[in-house]
Amino acid sequence: MAANPEKLKVVSQLSRRDILFGIARVPGTARVFLASSDAGVYVADLSQPKPDFKEIGKHKSYVTSVVLAGSSVVSGGYDGRLCWWDTQKLTQVRALDAHKKWIRKLAVSPDGRALASVADDMVCRLWDAASGKLLNELRGHTEKTPHHFSSMLYACAFSPNGKHLATGDKTGHIVVWETATGRQVTTLEAPVMYTWDPVQRVHSIGGIRSLAFSGDGALLAVGGMGKVGNIDHLEAKARVEVFDWQNGKRTAEFPGDKFTGLVERLEFHPKGDWLLAAGGAMDGFLMFLDLKAKKALKQEKVQTHVHDVALNEDRDTIYAACHGRVGVFSLKG
Amino acid sequence: MAVRRNNFCGSPEHAIDRRGFLGGVAAGAAGLAGLGVLAEPAVAAEMKKQQKRCILLWLAGGASQLETWDPKPGVETGGPFSAIPTSVPGVHISELMPKMAQRMKHTCLIRSLNTRNGDHNSGAQIMIRGRRDEPNLKYPDLGAVLARELGRADSQVPDYVAFYFATEGRGSAPGSAGFLGSRYAPMELYKSMMPENIVRHKDVSDGDHKDRAELRDLLSKQFARGRVSPTLASHNEAYQRVRGLMASDKLFDVTREPQTMRDLYGPTQFGEQVLVARRLIEAGVPFVRVSRAWWDSHGQNFETHQEMVPELDHVMAALLDDLGQRGLLEHTLIITLAEFGRTPQINPSLGRDHFASAWSCSLSGCGIKGGAVWGKSDQTGNRVVDGEIGAAQLFATIYSALGINPQKHYYVGSRPVPLTDPGTKPIKAVLA
Repeated sequence: MAANPEKLKVVSQLSRRDILFGIARVPGTARVFLASSDAGVYVADLSQPKPDFKEIGKHKSYVTSVVLAGSSVVSGGYDGRLCWWDTQKLTQVRALDAHKKWIRKLAVSPDGRALASVADDMVCRLWDAASGKLLNELRGHTEKTPHHFSSMLYACAFSPNGKHLATGDKTGHIVVWETATGRQVTTLEAPVMYTWDPVQRVHSIGGIRSLAFSGDGALLAVGGMGKVGNIDHLEAKARVEVFDWQNGKRTAEFPGDKFTGLVERLEFHPKGDWLLAAGGAMDGFLMFLDLKAKKALKQEKVQTHVHDVALNEDRDTIYAACHGRVGVFSLKG
Repeated sequence: MAVRRNNFCGSPEHAIDRRGFLGGVAAGAAGLAGLGVLAEPAVAAEMKKQQKRCILLWLAGGASQLETWDPKPGVETGGPFSAIPTSVPGVHISELMPKMAQRMKHTCLIRSLNTRNGDHNSGAQIMIRGRRDEPNLKYPDLGAVLARELGRADSQVPDYVAFYFATEGRGSAPGSAGFLGSRYAPMELYKSMMPENIVRHKDVSDGDHKDRAELRDLLSKQFARGRVSPTLASHNEAYQRVRGLMASDKLFDVTREPQTMRDLYGPTQFGEQVLVARRLIEAGVPFVRVSRAWWDSHGQNFETHQEMVPELDHVMAALLDDLGQRGLLEHTLIITLAEFGRTPQINPSLGRDHFASAWSCSLSGCGIKGGAVWGKSDQTGNRVVDGEIGAAQLFATIYSALGINPQKHYYVGSRPVPLTDPGTKPIKAVLA
């Protein structure tokens, strides 16, 4: 039975003391790896009523992203390190000092061969996912914001055929790269997602927090939040923009009407039925967006900020890494 | 309400007060154009030796102690930043402050503030005045007290300058001379680096301006005849300083600094304001407050501090170096302070909220024991476990570092009012 956002319901919500920033699911199972603020990488089987969260290893600071690459799960964190862990033996395979500043996000190419990491050193590095060998360094994001402060490189995503990779930074600047050569193919801008407050507080907030290509690779969705009035809080509406990136055209805007906060994760339904946007502020949200009708199909509050999600093959189950919680949601009709 | 303006603290040692002495020295050497009093080597040397000054870096909104002076890496509340060693063995601060870590010998940390007020408005008022107002008594803030204590009676520069460009939070802690009167009210800069209305109107000649001042003075004296009013006296003193203040515009002009010096402080608004603060201090302004808003990071605390703490670190380090090279650091107290700190608990917006139970501030330069650390918070940062102090003790320490007796009395009418609450002791362990 097809996944139906209208049927969204909570299956389970498991409380934790830490903040979970990333989640990666082992194909065909409900076994997930989690990235934690306690510097740990955890594994758990979420099909169990009371899952055991087993720590498989540690970073030196917050772990912000986990991805599966072949027989390994790779974690990246604010310590600038990438760690490979054997998904069966749960032992460390290798660890690299990959970036000089915080690693924000990892992505794996669809064929599993290339791993991308983005960090606040404003470099996207491409790695051989199997060997950990550095393949390329992609530099196209400025280290400073227009207002002389350090910028941040938050998001990355591969296209479905793996030929392209998109990266997005704090100022709303997006670069699409050719994976094989590291050549910049195009750049896009989403300036509404960057708020610089020159009068009240003289600092900035926002940025591109999530990226996703559509199933056919033609569209690139960009997530963040709109312009913020009171930048002490995440009070702007959650925002998604969609680009026909090859022609440099913005084809849809979802400025948000229900939830405030950052869109931390975007995921297209493979057939284009909907675009899932997950994120939050003090509360969290799951939004299903209809790109054809350019409206929200379903918007559901989650009890706490959602940082990442993983969907199963049928796209009818969502595993969510949240602030102090792991959530499982069903879309089964 | 009245202030016994002429007898100061009443103590015999102040029968000839330092301000009067220095004022005489300066007046003789400077003249109106002598906003460059330091151009006279003998005068400059004397002032450098004796005149103490203060720069308050007001971190409006409440900077996080955990991301600055009291890091707690590795605990649930600690956040993602690590702690780094400083030039003082055993003292660690946030990794966001590598430059200050190298200059810790000039700075003492207080890690045990419990000020019991997590509200922006009332918290800010306490932390710029050192205590709460009474229903019938409005206290002067730190700047007004230091303007009175450290300023020169015939000063040709402002005694108290406050930069506060940000709009939000400004109303929480406005500069206030309280019962000291308008003579000690701040020159507040809200929009421009240059004071507004400081330049003589183009349609008024210099001669006309002098004539008008003399006429105002004549009328004022006639009005004052037979009246005893400290408020009136304070008002008149303020007018008597107009010509000097009008000539002080050059001090606010950051473009008069060499590019190398501007590069040292950096291109940000905060950096430029602190550079102007140094120019003012060097010219004899006893107190400058530079407000850097906004640290109220209920959301994205770590992004906010990642952006703002390195700026604070850079600018503060530049200021210490610059003052040191000019021989002014040992006579200038630099304070970082806010209305409160931030909660150890991290909220779902990855923010920290208001927290006044265990937070930190720093004192650098004049009168303090560099490298000293006073007080201790617990492992999670939730409470003070050693050396707890409130605003009164902090202010007593600040006054003491500047050579001012914190138990000195002013008089409001016949009522003696001590600078800090009776019995308040400074933290001697951090005083030089």
